[in-house]
Amino acid sequence: MAYDVVVIGGGVNGTGVARDCAMRGLRVLLLEKTDFGVGASGNSSGMIHGGIRYMLTDRKVTALACRDSGYIQRIAPHLLFRIPFLMPFVSRGEEATLRERAEWYGAEVYVGTYDLFQPLKRGKPSARLSPDELYALEPGLRPGLRGAVTLDEWGIDAFRLCVLNALDARARGADVRTWTEAREILREGGRVRGVRWRDALTGEEGEALAPVVFNAGGAWSPALARRSGVPVPMRPGKGVHLTLDRRLSNYGVICAAVDGRQIFVMPHESESIVGTTDDDYYGDPDDLEATNDEVEYLLEGAASLVPDVRRARITRAWCGLRTTIYAYGPNEDALSREHQLHDGAAHGAAGLLSIVGGKLASYRAQSEEATDRILELLGRPPVPCRTHEEPLPGGDEVPDPEALAREWPVAAPVAARLVYRHGSRAREVLRLVKEDPRLGLVLCRDEAILAAEVVFCVRHELVRRLQDLRRRCRVGLGACAGVDCARIAAQLAGRELGWDADRIRAELGDLLDQGWRERRAIADGAQLAQEELLRGATGLFEVPG
Amino acid sequence: MTATTPEGLQADVLVVGGGMAGAIAALAARAAGARVVVARRSPGATALSSGAISVAPHRPAHPDEPLFARRGPLDAARAVAATSPDHPYARLGLDALDDALAFAARELGGLLAPALERPRVLATAFGSAVSAALCQRSMEAGDLLAVRGPLAVAGLAGHLAFDAGLVAAGLARFAARGGPRAHAVAVDLPAVVAPAAKPYDLARALEAPGAAEELGEALRGVLPGGAGAALLPPVLGLDPAARVPERVAAAAGLPVAETLSDVPSVPGLRLQRALDDRLREAGVVIVTAAVAAGWAAPGEAVDAGGTPVRASAWVLATGRFVGGGVARRGTLFEPALRLPVQAAEGREAGVHLAARPAASLTVRDRRAPQPLLSAGLRVDAGLRPLDERGRQVHACLFAAGAVIGGHEQATDGTGLGVAILTGWLAGRAAAAAAR
Repeated sequence: MAYDVVVIGGGVNGTGVARDCAMRGLRVLLLEKTDFGVGASGNSSGMIHGGIRYMLTDRKVTALACRDSGYIQRIAPHLLFRIPFLMPFVSRGEEATLRERAEWYGAEVYVGTYDLFQPLKRGKPSARLSPDELYALEPGLRPGLRGAVTLDEWGIDAFRLCVLNALDARARGADVRTWTEAREILREGGRVRGVRWRDALTGEEGEALAPVVFNAGGAWSPALARRSGVPVPMRPGKGVHLTLDRRLSNYGVICAAVDGRQIFVMPHESESIVGTTDDDYYGDPDDLEATNDEVEYLLEGAASLVPDVRRARITRAWCGLRTTIYAYGPNEDALSREHQLHDGAAHGAAGLLSIVGGKLASYRAQSEEATDRILELLGRPPVPCRTHEEPLPGGDEVPDPEALAREWPVAAPVAARLVYRHGSRAREVLRLVKEDPRLGLVLCRDEAILAAEVVFCVRHELVRRLQDLRRRCRVGLGACAGVDCARIAAQLAGRELGWDADRIRAELGDLLDQGWRERRAIADGAQLAQEELLRGATGLFEVPG
Repeated sequence: MTATTPEGLQADVLVVGGGMAGAIAALAARAAGARVVVARRSPGATALSSGAISVAPHRPAHPDEPLFARRGPLDAARAVAATSPDHPYARLGLDALDDALAFAARELGGLLAPALERPRVLATAFGSAVSAALCQRSMEAGDLLAVRGPLAVAGLAGHLAFDAGLVAAGLARFAARGGPRAHAVAVDLPAVVAPAAKPYDLARALEAPGAAEELGEALRGVLPGGAGAALLPPVLGLDPAARVPERVAAAAGLPVAETLSDVPSVPGLRLQRALDDRLREAGVVIVTAAVAAGWAAPGEAVDAGGTPVRASAWVLATGRFVGGGVARRGTLFEPALRLPVQAAEGREAGVHLAARPAASLTVRDRRAPQPLLSAGLRVDAGLRPLDERGRQVHACLFAAGAVIGGHEQATDGTGLGVAILTGWLAGRAAAAAAR
C-alpha cells in the first residue's frame, strides 16, 4: 500500500499527528507495536496542565500550553476534570524564618502571575489560604502548616485521549494498525521510502510505502532509527506513580520529597495518584517495573504532608519513560520538557522525522507543528490545521449523567463514568443495554464498567487483545485488580472477536500478567489480601487440563 | 459443656478462626471430648473457595492421560510432598490424611456427597476440570466420570458470568479422555430473577417456590437427545434445604449439577454455613470477635470482643492474608500472638526474610510459586508453632490451616486439604494437651 506518511507509535504524539495529517487530507498509516498509550502517554500523570514551570524561562511557552489546554477541553470536554492543587506553606521551626516567608510570598506571586494565563484554559484564579482555611479544605494534612496557595489544573484519561485521536484519524480515512511493529525503515538513495511491518498477533508482514515516515515511537524510537543509521538523541527518564484505592483528598497536594523534589498526591477519577519520580533509565523500555526504593521514596515524600498515605492501600505502581531531550550535565529535573523534531536528511534518511520530548498537555500543538513539517517535506501547499476546532469522538456534547440515568436503565454513578469515558457516545453504549438487558451488568464497582461498555469498546475501539480493555475502559485496573471483571470481560471480548476457549484463557492470563507487574513492589497491608484473593479466584482457571 | 461463669467462658480448647481449619479443629477436639470455644472475627476464607474440597492438584503424566487414571487424594498429596519439602504435607507426613478426610466427610455429611475411592473430576465455570476429594451433593452429578450420555452445559440467559459455549468447548477436550460429550444450551431464567443479577441474588431467587421448577422445565425443553446430565452455573440455591438442584432435576427429568465457582462463590458460602451449623450442633460455642491475645499464653484468659475466654489449649486457625492470620505492614507478622513468620521457602534464610521488600519476595512469573504468598508460621511435627530459633512456643499452642506457611493455599490446590489435615491433627492434639 502507498501512503503519504507512515506514523510510527500510538502514543499521544503518534495518534495526534495521524489525526492531524488525516484531517489535512493526507493518506496515513499509523503503526503501533502494542496498543495506544502504553508508553509515556498513558503512564504520565494524566494532566493537561498549563506549563507553570515555563513561566520563569519563557512565558510564551506557558501561554501556548494554556491555550492548548483550552483547545483540548474544547475538543474532548467529557474527558477532562478539574484538579485544584494546594501548595502548602511548610515551616521547619516553631517560627517561620524570613527565608521561608520570602519563599511563600514568592509562591504566591508566582501562582498569581499564572492566573493571567488561567482564562485561556478556563482555570480558576489562585487564592491564598490561611491555616484555618487550609485545614477546613483538607483536614487530613499534617498539623502545623502555615497556609497555602491554590493552583487550578485539569486531569484527563490519557489512554483514552490517544484512543480517541486514533479513532478519529481512522474515521477520516487513516489506516490504523495496533499490535503491528515497524520492523525496519526502508531507504533508497538517501530518502526513506516506507517501512516494513509485522503483525505481532497474526505474524502477517508487509511493506507500506510512503515518502515521509514520522517516528513517534517514544522511548523505543532511538533504537528503531538507529537500525536505519539515524541517531535520535534522547535521555529517557523513568517516572513512577502509585495509585491509591480511593480518593484520599479532594485537592491535589504538592509535597517535597526527601531530596527536595516536588511530588504530589492528587485525586484522579475515583482514586488518588502519588507521583512522580524522575531517574535516568538505561534499560530495555519493554522491561520496566517500579522498584521498592521508588515506591518508598514517593510514600515518604507524600506522607510528609498527607500522613494517611501510609495507611492507604496502594493498588498499583506504574511507570513510563519520559522521552526527554538529550543533554549532558543537568540532573533529570532540570532537563527541558520541550520537544524537538529531528530530520534524518543529514544521515541519509530524508523524509524521516522523529519527535523527542514534549508534554502530554501540548500534544495537539506538537502534532500541528509536526504536520506542518510533514506537508513541507511532501512539498504540499499549507493546509490550515483544524484539530483544535473539530471535536474528538464523543466530544461534541457532554450528556448530563442524571438525565441519562433517568432515560436509560442505568444507575447515575455508572452513567457518570460512562459519560466521562465516552461523552456523547455513552448513549450508543446504553442502547446496547436496551437491546440486551444482560449487558446492564456492572462488571466493576470501582470503575463502574458496564458489560455493554466492554462490548462497545470491542466493536468500535480497535480492541485486538483483552489487555487493550485496560486502556479503553479500565478492565482489570480497579482496586480489585480484576476479581470481578476480568473473566466476564474475557468472555464478552471472546464472543465478539471469535476467540476459542484456549485463546480466552491465554488472553486472561496475559491481562493478569500485566497487573501483576504493577503490583509486585506494593504487596503489603490490605493489598496483599487482595492479591491472595485474586490468585485464588483466577487460579482455578489456569489449572492444566 | 463449656462453662459460662461471671469471669467469662471456660473451655478446654480455644480455636481462633472459624474457616475450614478452625471448624475441623473444633469438631475434632469436641469429638475427643473437649469443651470448645471458637472465636472468629468473620467467616473464614473458606467462604471464598470453589465449594469442592481438593486435596492436591492433579498433574497429568501426559496430555492424553485418561480421566479415570487420575490418582486419589493420598497419592496426589504424596506427589506434592515429594516435590515441595516445605509444604505441610511434607513436614507433617500424610499418615493421617485419610482419617482426617473421612472425619470431614462425616461431619459435613448433610452437604457433601459420599467419598469415592477415586477423585471426583469436576468442571469449573471456565471449562477446565479439577480433581476433588470431596464435593457438595449439588456437584455430584457433574462428575465427568459419572455422566452417562452427553452432558448439557446450560447457560442462563441473563447470567453473563457463565458462558456455556466456553465451558462446553473447554470440556470437549476431555471427551477423548473418558469424559462426556458436552453440548451448550441456553435456558431462559425464571421470571422472578432480575436480568443482570449477581450470583448470590440469583441463587436466592431460585430458592423461591416454583422458580427451580420453572428453570427445570425450561431446561427440559432445550436438552439434546439422550442427555445424561445437565451442568449449570454455581448458583443452585444458597440453602441446601431449599433443594434447588433436586427440584430442577425433577422438573428437567435428568440429573443436574453445578460447576465449581470462582469469587464470589455461592458454593463456598454454602460450605461455610454448613461448618457453622455443624459447630453449633456439636455444642461448640462460637464467639464472633477478633481475639486480642497480646502476650498471654494458653491457660490464661484472653479477650474476645469483651468476653474473657480461658482455655487450657489453643489452636490458631486464623488463615493467611485474606483471613488475617498473617499480615504485612512493611514486614511480615502474625497479628494475634506476634509469632515469627517465615517468609520464604528457603529454610536457610529463615525468618529474616520476613523483613525484605515485597518485590524481592516475589518472582516475575505470576504463575510461579511466590515466596511472599506462601509466608506463614513454621510448626513442628506436632503442629506447635516455632519461634525464631526453632523451639516450640508453648506446649499447648497449636496451629492449623493457612496460617502455617510453606504452601500457597490460595493457588496451589491444596488449601482445603491442608486445612482438614492440620485442623484434625491440631484439634485432637489440643484436646489431648488440655487433659
